Amino acid sequence: MIRFQAVQKYYGSYCALSEINASVAKGEVVVVCGPSGSGKSTLIRTVNRLEEIQSGEVLFNGQNVHARLRSAELNRLRSQIGFVFQSFNLFPHLSALDNVVLSPWRVNAVSRAEARDRAMALLERVGLASRALSYPAQLSGGQQQRVAIARALAMEPPAMLFDEPTSALDPEMVGEVLNVMRGLANDGMTMMCVTHEMGFARDVADRVWFMDAGRILETGTPGAFFGNPQHPRAQRFLSDLRSH
Amino acid sequence: MLANAVTIVQDNWLLLLIGQYPNGPLGGLAATLILSVLGIALAFPLSVLVALARLSHWRALQLPATALVYGVRGVPLLMIIFWVYFMFPLLLGVSVPGSATMLCTLVLYEGAFLSEVVRAGIQALPPGQMDAARALGHSYSRAMRFVILPQALTNMLPSILSQFVSTIKDTTLGYVINVPELTFAANQINNRLLTKPFEVFLILALTYYALCFSLTQLAAWLERSIATRRAGPVTQPLVVAQ
Repeated sequence: MIRFQAVQKYYGSYCALSEINASVAKGEVVVVCGPSGSGKSTLIRTVNRLEEIQSGEVLFNGQNVHARLRSAELNRLRSQIGFVFQSFNLFPHLSALDNVVLSPWRVNAVSRAEARDRAMALLERVGLASRALSYPAQLSGGQQQRVAIARALAMEPPAMLFDEPTSALDPEMVGEVLNVMRGLANDGMTMMCVTHEMGFARDVADRVWFMDAGRILETGTPGAFFGNPQHPRAQRFLSDLRSH
Repeated sequence: MLANAVTIVQDNWLLLLIGQYPNGPLGGLAATLILSVLGIALAFPLSVLVALARLSHWRALQLPATALVYGVRGVPLLMIIFWVYFMFPLLLGVSVPGSATMLCTLVLYEGAFLSEVVRAGIQALPPGQMDAARALGHSYSRAMRFVILPQALTNMLPSILSQFVSTIKDTTLGYVINVPELTFAANQINNRLLTKPFEVFLILALTYYALCFSLTQLAAWLERSIATRRAGPVTQPLVVAQ
């Protein structure tokens, strides 16, 4: 469903992504892990072209997202790729409900009443129906991130991308967000998650990609990756994690 | 002296308030207010367009907008008033009344300044807002309309109000092209009385001060309430019965 082909990205002369070749199958949950600055977030942001690349292709459902596209075509592609940000990025001038309603209503031309009904159902699903009329500033970080997930789901995307969804949260709020993500994975959603939550990776991921210095150094099932990492950099990363 | 000032107000309040209307054009404080309200109201949409053009990646939009802003900001207002006053009739071939000249000048001048306020308001928003809107599939213009501008304009309300205060003070320059606004009315009174300039211009100053001070207070209050709302309430009272 998502395929990276020989993706290269530079910031000036700094190589942010190098020779990325990988793919995420339909229904698969891939967790991307690695040290800070390894290019995980950059990689996930190339899928909906929030980051440009210098060469290679990123295919979504067979269509190259980085081809010369008309802007309407790119917008249509983006609307099919759910994206959840580290910093939530809810629209602070809109209530939780309106955050979820806005895009189906304005982008997909769903009627406002229908968008509201679906939004309420989604807020119910993430456990926040009772806070529908609250504004983002009135919600905790965990609640905001759950609204952000509902907002992305409202476009009924066939795939969801998560860019460190729990890194900006207080520890006691991490669980509620991960539970929502677990639920999505159980329902068969195609997911690509950049996260430092190794427990989540172990339980939920079908495959783990380990990145360092802009390259994917190792891919494998969670069992293989955590139990018997091959690459020395991955071994060191995992032993550093265990040492605290 | 204060008694003199009171007498002057008692004798001339109607002139100060509405000029020679209905025997002449509407003037005085009413004209000042109409000029500044219309000026800022028309300058505002212009400033949003200019700001969007300045932020555009399209050079055909960006360059003229930037030139306009730099040009207008680099020249004294009085100079623009003279240009518009003398150039408009030449270009249009008809005589243009002073108040219309003044209004056009104000819209141009305040619009240029306000566009920088709008641009700053847009750029001050976290880039994640635009990212989130684009990631959901909104076009650039829809993201601006539904996500960026509503936030930026609310945040900018205090600055817009400050610009309105400047506009009120800038209308005094209409005096040089005989726009019958408040300063013009005060000067008429002064010319008639001859011996009481201090009292007359004290009244004028106090009127402007009362007007502008209350508006800056309003701006400060708005700024505080926006800051409070952005931080979120201390308690979380909102629960919806569904």
